[in-house]
Amino acid sequence: MKVLLVEDNERVTRFVVKGLQEAGHVADHADNGRDGMFLAASEPYDVIIMDRMLPGQIDGLAIIEALRKAGNRTPILILSALSDVDERIRGLKSGGDDYLTKPFAFGELLARLDALGRRAQGIGTQTSLRVGDLHIDLLSRKATRGARTIALQPQEFKLLEYLMRHAGQVVTRTMLLENVWDYHFDPQTNVVDVHISKLRQKIESDSERPLLRTVRNAGYMLSADE
Amino acid sequence: MNRFLGSSAFTLAFSYVAFGIAALVLFAAPLWYAWQVTIQESRTEILRADIQRLSEVFRREGTRGLSAFIDNRVGMQIPGERILLLTDPDLQRLAGNLPQWPAGIPAAPGTYTLPVNLSGKQTHAMFVHTVLPGGYNLLVGRDQSLFAPLAPRFWYGLGAAVAVLSIAGALGGLMIRRAVLVRVDGIRQTVLAIVQGDWSHRLPTKTTSDELDTLSRTINGMLDQLEQLLHGVRDVSNSIAHDLRTPLAELRSRLEELSLTRPGPEETFAQIDGAVADVDRVIRIFNALLRLAEIDTGMRRSGFVSVSAADIARQAVDFYLPAAELKSIVLTYRGNGPAELSGDPVLLAQAIGNLIDNALKYATDGGLITVEVQTLPDGKVWITVADDGPGIPDEEKPKVSTRFYRGDASRGTPGVGLGLTLVASVAKVHGGVLELADNNPGLRANMIIPVQAGTGAPMVAGPSTGVGQPASAGQEPTALGAAPAAHNLRIRSVS
Repeated sequence: MKVLLVEDNERVTRFVVKGLQEAGHVADHADNGRDGMFLAASEPYDVIIMDRMLPGQIDGLAIIEALRKAGNRTPILILSALSDVDERIRGLKSGGDDYLTKPFAFGELLARLDALGRRAQGIGTQTSLRVGDLHIDLLSRKATRGARTIALQPQEFKLLEYLMRHAGQVVTRTMLLENVWDYHFDPQTNVVDVHISKLRQKIESDSERPLLRTVRNAGYMLSADE
Repeated sequence: MNRFLGSSAFTLAFSYVAFGIAALVLFAAPLWYAWQVTIQESRTEILRADIQRLSEVFRREGTRGLSAFIDNRVGMQIPGERILLLTDPDLQRLAGNLPQWPAGIPAAPGTYTLPVNLSGKQTHAMFVHTVLPGGYNLLVGRDQSLFAPLAPRFWYGLGAAVAVLSIAGALGGLMIRRAVLVRVDGIRQTVLAIVQGDWSHRLPTKTTSDELDTLSRTINGMLDQLEQLLHGVRDVSNSIAHDLRTPLAELRSRLEELSLTRPGPEETFAQIDGAVADVDRVIRIFNALLRLAEIDTGMRRSGFVSVSAADIARQAVDFYLPAAELKSIVLTYRGNGPAELSGDPVLLAQAIGNLIDNALKYATDGGLITVEVQTLPDGKVWITVADDGPGIPDEEKPKVSTRFYRGDASRGTPGVGLGLTLVASVAKVHGGVLELADNNPGLRANMIIPVQAGTGAPMVAGPSTGVGQPASAGQEPTALGAAPAAHNLRIRSVS
């Protein structure tokens, strides 16, 4: 993916750019609002990471609003030290697609970027999803693995659907909390892990190949590959 | 005096005096004019009537008769009041009380006012001159000196009125200054004291509710709220100073040790992972504190919508169900109706989540946790999370909702010790309370929230709250920032 990072903190920039390159992405960066605006408007990017408070007379939200007004639909992840719920809502309202609060774990950032980049490629209006021999029907809300039917609670189905939509990507606990349960807070205990292990028991019987992997220090990944 | 001249009381008094004088002049001027005109006319009228009568005598009895009549009248009269003179066509005196024709009165008939010498006395007199048939001149006059003092008297009276008005105005101004500006000065002094950092001051209020009093109460309400916000900020900084130091110290010693001992790569990476976990813990505490501050200052009020507490609780139960099953704990939901209330769904979900999380932490394996949402007829929604764990001893109950307090029973369990504080704050921002009661055995945590937020504990103090309320000096937060949150916790023992 080609990623643009608009961020004025040098150390954060170095850390993110290096991480993105190691993950196989191409990263451009701008350290002020003006350059950021120019690059975002003139180059095609798959995803833009936008800091909110920037030098150069134009802040992150203003850039996003201007891009959206100009018809630019590139997915944008807002990276900000402003953590209030209200600030988050403002960020998303201005046209941002996701909001990540500083300080952040790189794994979280990478997972969210992947999710945004994939989403832009368009899933369209799919009625079923498939990962290996695991298949779910979004209309009848039924899940099968090979010939075996899997009985799922509505909540488990929602969790599996999210994992399957992001198959092959790392999905963090926070992403699951936000997207499956719509919880924007830290529930302290490892409830998400419990949900995952319960789901894993259902979709992976002893004889079947594991599909749902735990990615250390990041989250989970559903994938048919070894 | 300079302060008085520059004060609004002076301006007020001065304007009132100016208006008063203007009114007085407007009243006096027409009066003066009317007086002058009317008196003059009636005097002339009287003199003309006299002339009419004398002309009648002249027509009937001729010169001789009129002379006799005039002499008779002059003889009867108090000298000086009525002036009468009859002359022949050559202006030679025939009868009357003037020795000769006064200089200055022309031969033509008419009305004249002029100074004359009247039996040795210099005075002003008014004359009417008529020419009788045969060229005889008749002069009828009247001494004006009797009316002369009236005009100065009028002016003296007017001057005195103006003087009284001015003095009254000045005194009034002084009194306004005493009554009102002294109080304004009091407000100023109080505000100055507060600006200098002493938040225990409040504006003095009286029982009368005049404008100044109402203003004072409103300002007191504002001060209460500002003080609350200030305490919130102070709380956060105290808490940060107190409780972020520990994990930061751990992190520092870990890194320092790593730098000193320089172990092999395997151990180094294990230590780095540990350090990242330490930082994550610091971030979690930090986020929790910021969130608490955000809630405590009432900022989230703006996000209130109509929500169903029952739906939120049911979702939370679903969310925690697998975690409960893992510990063989039975987690159930009970409720009557949707329990609609005006609130913040994110905060309510977090609060209920914290309560369930708490119960899960302390409940023994195979135990029972019940989440119950009920709307009571008094318009309050009770959100109850009850467990059959060890419960909290009565003496610890007031402390558990204070920041970072962790009971003896919680040693060795995860958590940063802000859970119940957050629940208490969420209840408070919804105008409700958190009540901790005994479940015999176990803990029964009740969030009691009015259906309409704000009917409970108002965040913005209305005018009435300032009355007689002692300054909140006694609410100085403890080092742990315990006081404000503990206000909202009710303890009830059911035995």
